[in-house]
Amino acid sequence: MRIAITGIGIVSAIGNNCAETLQSLLEQRSGIGPMRYLHSVHTEYPVGEVQLSNDELRQRLNLGDEPLPRTSLLGIMAAREAIAMAQAPCDTLISGTTVGGMDLTEQHWQDYKQGKSVATIPLHEAGASTRAIMRHLHSPLGELEGSCYTPSTACSSALNAIMLGCDMLRTGQAKRAIVGGAESLSRFHFNGFRTLMIMDQQPCRPFDANRNGLNLGEGAGYLVIESENDALARGAKILGYIGGYANACDAFHQTASSPEGEGAYLAMKGALDMAGLLPSDIDYINAHGTATPNNDVSESASVTRLLGVCKLPAVSSTKAFTGHTTSASGGIEAAICVLAMNNSFIPANLHWTQSAEGLITPVTQTLHQPVHHILCNAFGFGGNDSSLLLSDHPIDLTEATLSSLSPLRGKSEGGCEVSAAYLRRLSPQMRQLVGVAKQALQDAGIERPDAIVCATRWGCMQQSIRFLQDMIATNEQELKPTPFIQSTHNTIASLMAILTHNHGYNATYSQGKQSLACALMDIRCQMALGRIRSALVLEFDEQVETWDEVLSLIGEQTCNIARAHVYIKNE
Amino acid sequence: MEQLIEQLKSQIIEALNFEDLTPADIETDAPLFGEGLGLDSIDALELIMLMDREYGIKLADPKQGKQIFRSVRTMAEYIQEHRTK
Repeated sequence: MRIAITGIGIVSAIGNNCAETLQSLLEQRSGIGPMRYLHSVHTEYPVGEVQLSNDELRQRLNLGDEPLPRTSLLGIMAAREAIAMAQAPCDTLISGTTVGGMDLTEQHWQDYKQGKSVATIPLHEAGASTRAIMRHLHSPLGELEGSCYTPSTACSSALNAIMLGCDMLRTGQAKRAIVGGAESLSRFHFNGFRTLMIMDQQPCRPFDANRNGLNLGEGAGYLVIESENDALARGAKILGYIGGYANACDAFHQTASSPEGEGAYLAMKGALDMAGLLPSDIDYINAHGTATPNNDVSESASVTRLLGVCKLPAVSSTKAFTGHTTSASGGIEAAICVLAMNNSFIPANLHWTQSAEGLITPVTQTLHQPVHHILCNAFGFGGNDSSLLLSDHPIDLTEATLSSLSPLRGKSEGGCEVSAAYLRRLSPQMRQLVGVAKQALQDAGIERPDAIVCATRWGCMQQSIRFLQDMIATNEQELKPTPFIQSTHNTIASLMAILTHNHGYNATYSQGKQSLACALMDIRCQMALGRIRSALVLEFDEQVETWDEVLSLIGEQTCNIARAHVYIKNE
Repeated sequence: MEQLIEQLKSQIIEALNFEDLTPADIETDAPLFGEGLGLDSIDALELIMLMDREYGIKLADPKQGKQIFRSVRTMAEYIQEHRTK
């Protein structure tokens, strides 16, 4: 099957649609500036905000007063543009996010204590922000009906969404999918990154010798993908092809990338291998390039290793335009790559002035030249590294039929002792799951599964609520980095990778009660396509008193879940 | 100085969640990172917070921590010299 891209949609700090984005890129106009809509006390940090208030977004999108997180508002805007461009309805929405409805939770936390604003409570769930996007994709061209998926692997979420979409097309589980991600700024993760001391108070300078951290941004970016045959049959304009993709785990540290960039190298190599291309075929690498001291060194090392003796192609990070849009970055940057391919240019890496040993030298001015093959990178916390290969040529990918799947040796709920220095940072329920997972692997006689996939409804709530409460109680003054680091949905899947020294596929899904079904869809596709033979599937949720008090206002509650299943491909 | 060192050990245990350790388990001159306690970059950030919270010392650049956090002793020496509370 050849996977064709027939629509794209983008909203970010450099434009509310593709046309505005293209213009900003060509004119080298950055969207990073003083804070306008994020109500943080730390206004000394510039951000890449979408230049529309929530009310203005609602007006443009013709939405009523239904409570919606900003993540969903941005997602609806970009997704509608992509579907309108494709001129055809989609049957599947796969949208990565981690922030989800955190903006509403932090805004209304005090209201909840008084039993007010309860309608926004269910929107805290990451999957709920995706379902909200799906509900509002009405367009004259058709209504999206069917399934929705929310990969939540921190800053690689949107690229992992694109990968799942491709797998579902290749296994006949989707016919036309809209894939990417959406993420709004929130005080929660803005302060989280602040405690990590990796935010620059100046506009960020990716790959520069004097870079001093990232600027946070927000937005949404989607691709509409379908088989080339389907696209040609309906006379659709094809904007490009997806030729390869891979995800690998750095399995090094929860927030830092390894100095040699092992995970990043494996992801880029995997994407090239799937496409049957060589490093010398690549015209452009849209780097993750966050401008943190650590990322840019690690990514440079991985790119240099990938290239070997080949000459460095044009490389740029577009984060100096948009800021780091975290979970949405893979979607926004993949869409930017499609713009680059269709308009024959390479976007500049703004604000770069000085090279340094161990750092690749990016393109500093817009280059006008044909662009045939592009690698687009997105790396996330937990060493979750993904790379996508986009091409203007059709590339044949294998197809397969899904078969049924049953867990090996049932479920393991016991658990064995695990001792590792970093476990001291985990909540008791997270530690429990690590033990259960280790036991399940031992029972199955598998040391290192090919994939680790976690399903969670609410994510790592104990640490999230702790950080949220500290943030509100101290007016963003006294915050600790540890709970923030542990608050991302993919914390456990990535810890299991570190614990089992596993560079294989790593993903986490948050889709309410459908989270496990999403995780199983992912591994079934990959098993059918022959990329994995074994998988560790984790189920996690934890009960937190303060959160249960909030949920009781809408007649819900959480429960402790720590289950692990091992799956082996049926031969 | 000795009193500060003991106090600092307790504060490190609490800030970094070393539930199983007592101050006596931490050697004053042993390296905190790599070997010894085996701390990492997240712990370094927690130690920066601790210095601010308990002793009113603000480090703007996490790289400064490398020298200061070599051992409990180096940390205590730095605190003694720079503390504002």
